[in-house]
Amino acid sequence: MGDAALNESVIKFEKPVQVNPIRLTQPMGAALAFLGVDRCMPLMHGAIGCTSFTKVFFTRHFAEPIAIQTTAVSDVTAILDGGDHNITEAVKNITTKVSPALIGLHTTGLTETKGDDIRRVASKVDFPLVHVNTPDYEGAYESGWALATKAMIDQLVEPTKVTRSNKLVLLPPVNLTPIEVEKVKEFIEGFGFEVHALPDLSTSLDGHLGQKQAALSSGGIDIDTIRQLADAATVVTVGTSMEGCAAALQKKNPAILHKHFPHLQGLRATDNLVAFLLKQSGRDLPPASVVRWRQRLQDSLLDTHFALGQTRFLLTGEPDQLAGQAAALQEGGGRVAEVIAAAPSPVLETIEKARVRIGDLEDAEDLAAEYDLILGNTHCESLAHRLGKKVLLRGAPNWEEVGNQLKCDLLYEGGCHFLCEVANKASEV
Amino acid sequence: MKPKVKELLVESGCEHNETRTKACNSATPGATTGGCAFEGAQIALFPYADAAHLVHGPLTCLGTSWETRLTGTSWEGRDLTQMGFTTGIGINDVVFGGEEKLHEAIDAIMERYSPQAVFVYATCVTALIGDDLDQVCKQAAEKHGVPMVPVHAAGFVGSKNLGSRLAGEAVLNHLVGTREPESTTEFDINLLGEYNVTGDMWQYTHLLEELGIRVLSTLSGDGRIADIRTAHRAKLNVIVCAKSLVSLTRKMKERYDIPWVSLSFYGLRDTSDGLLTICRALGDPDLIARCEALIAREEAALAEKLAPYRELFQGKKAVLNTGGNKSWSIASALQDLGIEVVATSVRKATEEDKEKARKYLGEKGVLMTEPATQQAGVIDETGADLLLAGGRSMYTAIKKKISFIDVNQEKKKSYGAYNGLLNLAEDLKNALESPVFENVAKEAPWETQP
Repeated sequence: MGDAALNESVIKFEKPVQVNPIRLTQPMGAALAFLGVDRCMPLMHGAIGCTSFTKVFFTRHFAEPIAIQTTAVSDVTAILDGGDHNITEAVKNITTKVSPALIGLHTTGLTETKGDDIRRVASKVDFPLVHVNTPDYEGAYESGWALATKAMIDQLVEPTKVTRSNKLVLLPPVNLTPIEVEKVKEFIEGFGFEVHALPDLSTSLDGHLGQKQAALSSGGIDIDTIRQLADAATVVTVGTSMEGCAAALQKKNPAILHKHFPHLQGLRATDNLVAFLLKQSGRDLPPASVVRWRQRLQDSLLDTHFALGQTRFLLTGEPDQLAGQAAALQEGGGRVAEVIAAAPSPVLETIEKARVRIGDLEDAEDLAAEYDLILGNTHCESLAHRLGKKVLLRGAPNWEEVGNQLKCDLLYEGGCHFLCEVANKASEV
Repeated sequence: MKPKVKELLVESGCEHNETRTKACNSATPGATTGGCAFEGAQIALFPYADAAHLVHGPLTCLGTSWETRLTGTSWEGRDLTQMGFTTGIGINDVVFGGEEKLHEAIDAIMERYSPQAVFVYATCVTALIGDDLDQVCKQAAEKHGVPMVPVHAAGFVGSKNLGSRLAGEAVLNHLVGTREPESTTEFDINLLGEYNVTGDMWQYTHLLEELGIRVLSTLSGDGRIADIRTAHRAKLNVIVCAKSLVSLTRKMKERYDIPWVSLSFYGLRDTSDGLLTICRALGDPDLIARCEALIAREEAALAEKLAPYRELFQGKKAVLNTGGNKSWSIASALQDLGIEVVATSVRKATEEDKEKARKYLGEKGVLMTEPATQQAGVIDETGADLLLAGGRSMYTAIKKKISFIDVNQEKKKSYGAYNGLLNLAEDLKNALESPVFENVAKEAPWETQP
């Protein structure tokens, strides 16, 4: 994989073959980001399979119909066409059937290898369209989501010099569930802010019964709101993968203040967020419910620390989520023994007291003697079964369970539920 | 040796080729939902649990798709079909070529998992950069002494259907006829296109066994590499619900003079017909007689078990909105259970599928060409009690206050053959009896009119 320069302590991936991989790719992350925009049609520029696989992947994970289209590059057009034909045809065919507010054009390994200049093609398309390069042989799930978010800011947000003091833009990472995005928005709103999340899965893939035709995403941040984001006084990024996106917004309005949080799991991380919000809002106290939930988290930490302290954890998944999980577990004395990240990220260097590597689930088999409980995606279910371990399913895909969009591990409140769920799982015989 | 795609697309064994020459391989940009050739190849070959399936490409191809299909196996070694192997190529491989990495990947797999064969799948990127899979496989086969099968079904060459054909070609060219069976019988058959999803195949293989018919090999449900290598000695090729393998059976007819039949084991009538078709093709009068007796026995036993369900389903009407051969095969199974199928979607069906749908539904049946807009009206006009469709139609059912079954949801239990019909009946019963649809359709307090 070897994409990023890493700290000595993080073990690189050096095998010639990935066995039982957990790594997801840039086009998938980008597609999901576009699904957080109201009435958007993600358009994957590649062969039909890239889109079809991605559609099925998310349909099963969210248990919702997923809107996404393909430019259907064939072996013939791969050689003869620079993308012009496939992209313009796709836009034409999409817009004759449905009326999207936005088309989210993103590439794949195939179209990057053949060297399509999608920026040039996009400039010829007379329809609201955001374009982004997301080859699947570079980066991963987190970077695909971040690149698509940055592209939306770059290409849609209108520059301004006006700043509204209580308006706040939240840029969440790919690993946040729809309900987690909603909880963070509400939490910040509790301090008097008007909050807009980009992307916003909390109203699109939250699993609500609506008159869904699924021909387009239904819910999410709307395109006019995106255009007006630059008059926010504050931009909050969550997750190291998102940190760089703030600069794109500041380019539209240099007066915007940027605050970054590596994650929002656990007592300390939430305390940091609260401290920032108190300062920015000029308030002395948070809402009463926040005070109460912090007390509950303190109690949960005490109630669960015995089980956590006796448990050795293997964490697997996306780097930003791993950082949050490790922090939340370690606060309660959980022994995070092994961490297997799907892809490289600087955030991995911040995970302390654990052996961290970029790897796959074959590595997890080799490390079997080192842990008792696994946190990870659906593929960890059969791993745990095979090795006689316990497993708590987190991350994507989770095809074993329903309700993925409703799980919240963040902030004081989600932190309580997370610790209790982990401790109960750890205590299962 | 790369198979010629063009030749596969003008398959003389394909009925629709006379009317629709492009039918098997056209994808419209911006208006396509189907899977690619790689997926088709994967579906066709992955059920070989004693072989490693190595995907030479970037991570999307395998990362999204491993451990997604419940293809049961009785192989006693490690079930490699539920594992994922990929070179997961990066930018360096794209620039400098991925052959060396592929060699190393095969070596690593052989060392650790000792599979009976390795299937090496090309993908769009590795096909475009020109990695020579044939050469790598040839060298690796010599080095390791087991078959290494290059599968030239990169996603961009076409549809899922074409990919399954290409998988068939790979099996024909690299495995079939490379080994002799230890013994042969008069009634040796190959089951082709049966992938044993949720154990579908095990719903009827015991019946074949009882009749004295031996499944010599399969492509590829509960399959073994050692067996498919002997497939050239079968007396009959049986295609199970998979038109994509017609090219394979035609070529096996030409090369090995093996006749073939095409059938389905979905629902009661199809299962009985299927068993009889096999026996008649094998041509033994005694076998046919025994088969007829077995069918009579099985149908009687099933009828008894289904009686309470049929009573429950009496007068119930269903609307079916699904694609391809499901438009009639599910209709047929529903009718076997005594449910009246008042409408079915033929939006994506071939001419042949439409004819069958008409045959099963009769004169009065509605064949919907635009189901998304038609189905609500059809439910009103026919007074249907049940909608079987994909998830996006759920809202229609709720609004019409009728029961709903998601036919596209990954099923966990088999609906195949005689006993599978009981599973289907149980699921239908639960859907029809469930109060959930009525409860969900209830107006919110703030919507209720005073």
